[in-house]
Amino acid sequence: MISKFQKELQTLVNDKIITQDIAEHIDKYYASKEDNKSGRLFTIFGVLGSLLIGMGIILIVAHNWDHFSRSIKTLFAFLPLLIGQSLVGYSVFKAKGKTWREASGTFLFFAVGACIALISQIYNIPGDLSSYLLTWTLLCIPIIYLLRSQAVAILCLVFATYYACNCGYAFTTRGQTPWYYLLLFVLVLPHYIQLLKSKPQSNITSVFNWLFPLSLIIVLGAFTDRYGDLGYLMYILLFGLFYNIGKLPFFDSQLLRKNGYVIFGSLGTVFLLLITSFKWIWRELFVMQIGFATQEMYIASILFLLAFSLLLYSYSRKWVRQFNLYRFVFIIFTLYYIIGFKNATIPTVLVNVLILALGIMAIKIGADKMHFGTLNYGLLIVAVLITCRFFDTNMSFVLRGSLFVTVGAGFFIANYLMFQKQKKKT
Amino acid sequence: MKKKHILIMFCVVALIQLFVPAQMIYNQEKVLNDGKAYKFKTRPIDPNDPFRGKYITLRYEINSFKTRDTTWRRGDAVYVYLKDSLGYAQIDTISKYKLNLKTDYVVAKATHFRSFKNYSNKSARIHFDLPFNRFYMEEYKAKPAEDAIRVRRNDTDLKDVYSLVYVKDGEAVLENVFINDVPIIDYIKEKDNQ
Repeated sequence: MISKFQKELQTLVNDKIITQDIAEHIDKYYASKEDNKSGRLFTIFGVLGSLLIGMGIILIVAHNWDHFSRSIKTLFAFLPLLIGQSLVGYSVFKAKGKTWREASGTFLFFAVGACIALISQIYNIPGDLSSYLLTWTLLCIPIIYLLRSQAVAILCLVFATYYACNCGYAFTTRGQTPWYYLLLFVLVLPHYIQLLKSKPQSNITSVFNWLFPLSLIIVLGAFTDRYGDLGYLMYILLFGLFYNIGKLPFFDSQLLRKNGYVIFGSLGTVFLLLITSFKWIWRELFVMQIGFATQEMYIASILFLLAFSLLLYSYSRKWVRQFNLYRFVFIIFTLYYIIGFKNATIPTVLVNVLILALGIMAIKIGADKMHFGTLNYGLLIVAVLITCRFFDTNMSFVLRGSLFVTVGAGFFIANYLMFQKQKKKT
Repeated sequence: MKKKHILIMFCVVALIQLFVPAQMIYNQEKVLNDGKAYKFKTRPIDPNDPFRGKYITLRYEINSFKTRDTTWRRGDAVYVYLKDSLGYAQIDTISKYKLNLKTDYVVAKATHFRSFKNYSNKSARIHFDLPFNRFYMEEYKAKPAEDAIRVRRNDTDLKDVYSLVYVKDGEAVLENVFINDVPIIDYIKEKDNQ
């Protein structure tokens, strides 16, 4: 069947725009691209199929088949595992393509989980969900490297995060710090680094550019022990680190949607600053007695050192071309935090000033780069800041109303001016 | 990576993946075969695990012990030394560390510490969870098992509910749960037939 595209090519040949030879080359080029696309689709469906079958096996196992004897249940526990291992072995030794590797790896991942689950049931092995998740993930991490499998890497990262949440965020009792998460994270990290080196621009790498910071953001709170209020500082430092990572030339040169670090870093920083712009947060901190030799302090210090070294390194390599306040928020906030132990009013005021400055900074960057998204992001920061101040200040209604009208008008004027400027340029 | 290295790596990974569950089985079988059996009086309740299915949580009658030590913290390991009293397990003593005793012990986890400063006649108590508090059941049987006990808790017919636990060198394996000396699964079946 001749496609519309091929018809167009024929028309171009007939009209003597291109030669028959070139038309054939173009046709072949796009045909090979199509092949690639269908291969990718096949991989995705292969992984989805394995994922569903694997999860199905886990659910069937979870039924707990009482009327089977212990030995039959044990046999069933090992059966999916052996099948999974055979499939993985076949993919490795026959040097099968991506689809085989991804699908068999995903199946083996769930087969390992099903096997341990069934053994736990048969022998009523105690141990909570987190220890089960930890064993499962640890047993599956080598598959990532054996198969160079992206799907298994994603699964391991997701399950490591699940483990940390289950272990650290306990709802009824006090959680334990999920230290083993760090081990799991470090074990998956080389795969990510390898991907950054070999396929920096590919879509799968950008998926990891989002997943890695997201996992750390979800998990960091589980590392607080007794002084949860220090979490604000820990998170600001983490977001500062992310922002500075995202601004490294390697990530900064990529499309914004592929740069999870800079987006999480910026949004997270602004969000946390907005929370800490309320006075009651600082009042709580003011009364809190924090020992310096605490787990939270150690983690905060490590994060600070990492972010600060990265900033210094960026300057030393002359990667920072112009001043960007967002890069320094973590240092400024740490200073505010130290003041916060002595006084609650000063940091509250200073945080408000900082947010305002960040808003203006974003507006300026947006205007300079002619980027509507950044410009409106800045305006939004200012608008949300004013909304927040509605709740805890005794401003008159007239003044509050006027402020809103001003910001609203600002939205129109700024966008209109930029639109005009862009028009002139084009 | 060379093919030979991949082969070695694959074999190692596959063996570890087989070894870990096999080791789990071996440990449990060893305790079941060589360990001493104890009966622990209990009450079941019915929760859920997303991967391992329905189980009944067992709340044991022995779940606390008097102590003068005020340094206990939640999450501490509690070495519970056992003795047999009228056919049921009782606590001989507890300790924060392993003691040089010949009696069987299990390692529990401290849940909370309650001191009675205002009552001079009572000393403080450390409460703990025994490690064998999960009994996996078929998904449609866990809830009836709990109900069987909850509904009839004042029933004179329901004299003793206990779990049979094998203990060896601090390891414990829960073999079964019994209601009036009938395995809980058979007990539910009997009640269903009635």
